[in-house]
Amino acid sequence: MSHSHTDQEAHNAEAMAEIKKVTIILSVFTIIELMLGFWMMSMTSVALKLAIKGTIVILMMAKAFYIVAYFMHLKHEVKNLIMTIIVPLLLFVWFISAFLWDGSSFRNLRNDYDPHFKEQATIKVEQKEEAHGASKQEAAETKHESLAPTKETSKPEPTPYY
Amino acid sequence: MSTTTTASPNEAKLWGGGKSPFNSEYGKVMMWYFLMSDAFTFGAFLISYGTVRFSTNGWPNSNEVFRSFPFAPDGVHAPLVFVSIMTFILIISSVTMVLAVHAGKNMDKSGVVRNMILTIIGGLAFLSCQAWEWNHLHSEGAWWGMNPFLNADGTASTTNFTNFFFTITGFHGFHVFSGVVINIIMLIMTLLNKFEQRGHYLMIEKAGLYWHFVDLVWVFVFTIFYLL
Amino acid sequence: MSHEAALHEGHGHEEHGHHEHHDTFLTKYVFSQDHKMIAKQFLITGMVWAVLGGLMSVLFRLQLGYPDASFPWLESLLGKWAKGGQITPEAYYALVTTHGTVLVFFVLTAGLSGTFANFLIPLQVGARDMASPFMNMLSYWFFFTASVIMMSSLFVETGPFSGGWTAYPPLSALHDASPGSKTGMDLWIISMALFVVSSLLGGLNYIATILNMRTKGMSMTRLPLTIWALFFTAVLGVLSFPVLLSGMILLIFDRNFGTSFYLSDIYVNGVGALSNEGGSAILFQHLFWFLGHPEVYIILLPAMGMVSEIMSVNSRKPIFGYMAMLGSLFAIAILAFLVWAHHMFVTGLNPFLGSVFVLLTLLIAVPSAIKVFNWLTTLWRGNIRFTPGMLFAIGFVSLFISGGLTGIWLGNAALDIYLHDSYFVVAHFHIVMGVASMFGMFAGVYHWFPKMYGRYLNNTLGYVHFWITIAGAYMIFWPMHYQGLAGMPRRYFDFSIWESFKQFAELNRFISTVAMIVFATQILFLINFFYSIFKGRKVTVLNPWESNTLEWTTPIRPGHGNWPGEIPEVYRWPYDYGKDGHDFIPQTTPVGADETGTH
Repeated sequence: MSHSHTDQEAHNAEAMAEIKKVTIILSVFTIIELMLGFWMMSMTSVALKLAIKGTIVILMMAKAFYIVAYFMHLKHEVKNLIMTIIVPLLLFVWFISAFLWDGSSFRNLRNDYDPHFKEQATIKVEQKEEAHGASKQEAAETKHESLAPTKETSKPEPTPYY
Repeated sequence: MSTTTTASPNEAKLWGGGKSPFNSEYGKVMMWYFLMSDAFTFGAFLISYGTVRFSTNGWPNSNEVFRSFPFAPDGVHAPLVFVSIMTFILIISSVTMVLAVHAGKNMDKSGVVRNMILTIIGGLAFLSCQAWEWNHLHSEGAWWGMNPFLNADGTASTTNFTNFFFTITGFHGFHVFSGVVINIIMLIMTLLNKFEQRGHYLMIEKAGLYWHFVDLVWVFVFTIFYLL
Repeated sequence: MSHEAALHEGHGHEEHGHHEHHDTFLTKYVFSQDHKMIAKQFLITGMVWAVLGGLMSVLFRLQLGYPDASFPWLESLLGKWAKGGQITPEAYYALVTTHGTVLVFFVLTAGLSGTFANFLIPLQVGARDMASPFMNMLSYWFFFTASVIMMSSLFVETGPFSGGWTAYPPLSALHDASPGSKTGMDLWIISMALFVVSSLLGGLNYIATILNMRTKGMSMTRLPLTIWALFFTAVLGVLSFPVLLSGMILLIFDRNFGTSFYLSDIYVNGVGALSNEGGSAILFQHLFWFLGHPEVYIILLPAMGMVSEIMSVNSRKPIFGYMAMLGSLFAIAILAFLVWAHHMFVTGLNPFLGSVFVLLTLLIAVPSAIKVFNWLTTLWRGNIRFTPGMLFAIGFVSLFISGGLTGIWLGNAALDIYLHDSYFVVAHFHIVMGVASMFGMFAGVYHWFPKMYGRYLNNTLGYVHFWITIAGAYMIFWPMHYQGLAGMPRRYFDFSIWESFKQFAELNRFISTVAMIVFATQILFLINFFYSIFKGRKVTVLNPWESNTLEWTTPIRPGHGNWPGEIPEVYRWPYDYGKDGHDFIPQTTPVGADETGTH
């Protein structure tokens, strides 16, 4: 091997610097994500919320990239190994889009053809504040006993099937 | 080995047989493909979560669900705080794991031992946090098949929010747990000088890949459950 | 790093070939780590399952062909499942379900790719063994455990799962949905989970071996097509089985822990019948078919690879379009992941999304057609040797064409509205996936039996086996197309009560009779197989088929480590047949100075 001792040391320092850099990047990204999360809580505009969610997803992907590329060392592997891992992961694009697409389509179909399903989404459960206040425990328990709350309003008590 | 050869003969040498085209032993190749496969397991879970969320009218607001903090009085609402601590624990344990792998490459046994211990502590800390959070949510009435939380718009929710939360974080926690077990085994093997005798710390590297993957999954779980 | 060191690194088992192992019975035949023994274990377990699964089909065909007849022997065989000598509807559904599960997963996945990936990969790439022989052994024993659990589900009080091999909820998610949804379904899930682990251990091993353990000179484009096919099979398995595992885990929670991932809502007499609801049954179908469709190719690709190899050897011609074959394998592997929802056109899938899936589905016709034409052109003007293995390979191509063409019909969402869940579908997938892969498996067994056991299978029995099986396969499944077009639905217990389906009574009886004859012929094959292991004609030459690939350079009965001396080096691709006046030039022959067009 042609590496001299000083080469090794330089290499070490380089690697440590890289680890430090990635740690800082990951932390900063996480903090930005959290800040966006806090900001989003007080927000009412749906479009802006969506934009922030998009930003968070991008940050998530960036974090994933840094973990895989540097912590898992993939960036320093042979290019072919990188390709054999990245290319199959591209399947996720269609995996995600088809599933989510059909998920929202299922909701739309039911909203169109299942009046009960749609009605449920408009009935507000009362005592919302209470449910999250001091008597949270009790509220949770009563909820548990009748697990299909809105159905009571429109139909007789369900008989459990099993 | 010369590093100045041009690309194409290098390529032919890599793929010509008689050696690994990736310059890595089979264990690491297998570990990578195992992780890829596991990514599909987690992917399927998270995508299922997305699908069900997309096919439901209304969904609980995670900031109203995950807003407690250990030892804080009941009225204190601190959304995102506890989970950010969990996230940082996992990031830091990932960093110590990188340092352990790095020390292993330099055949620095004491460095490996130190960083492995730190990684294990990080893993256990994460698991403890998760145990607290699960316990707390359970005390609020949330469990598989039980969801005390209303939708963000005040309508009744289905149980799928908690169903998915416990399933996916549980599956991730199971991975963290097995990661901790693997790391403890690696630590013992290091202390027994197994890797010194072998002349390489490749096992630490493979355990590291697994551990980082666990961290990677948390990046997604954290974002999807707590932020989106 | 010196070259020798690099070579050595890639072959961790170098030393294994040199010293003799002193194996006990247990380490040689049971917990063997030799890939060849594991392959035989997979093969024989697969054959046991094939017989059982085939027997099940005979039993339910008996019901379909003779719905009014009573067979007292059935009652003594099945007890309460065949009261009065007639199969009960519950038993019928259990048989259909188990037949599907067993044939798809245990026979055509484990039995086919488990056998031949284990057997051929190290031999054909030039390795002493798999990358991790221990994981390889685990892979078999996980499969075996899965088998035992599936087998035990046949004997529980409420019977095995009976909701179809696709295990759609709510039948699979509710304990009370059907008798088989109780313990039978639990065992089914556990068995499938273990099977996923087995296929994962196996698949990772196959991939790592093919990538890392190739002998010197064996570049990727010098690999036989069998290896390429098995490689893509392993990739498909590694990427798609985890999704099934996730789906199964969610299913377990739905069954036992009160969740409702897959349960949207069920009403009985206007009353909600579920304590938990709000999920999506379509989600399970998506998850299942995200595995399920690649699974079809996990079954088909090994057969395709072996057929390519066997055809080239027995036509004494190079495979036509090696790179096109590779490209089409790759295209099929990619497309396999993009088309899953064509199994779900009428389940409430978004119609527009469905049309995207139609487009992607029909694209598969392109690589499939490339493969078919390449096989035909490989045969064209070849000096064909009609060995039983070759006949089965040709039979595979025939079946692949006949079954594949109906796939183009079914891939159309509009046509599928009419054809779905009819016998047309049954005919389609049995021909293209079931029988065709079975033919690939038979071809492989006939071709590599001499390497496996050092003896030949009986040729005459092989010819009888082939001709009855292919004629029978067409006689069974061809009429089903007509039945399906006439609207006859699949998974029905008894058609005799409908006026419109009564006209098919004769045809059903004909199909059932042929099915029994074909099943009996498979018994003939089994007799041939087990007889030949012990009493068959001995192989006396190293290379009985005059083939180029590396496995024929090993001793007639290779030991653990495959080659007694050095692993041979490879200098050319495996398809140098009829080149420069030579009938065949093995891969180990160095390239001559005046040779033209080498690979």
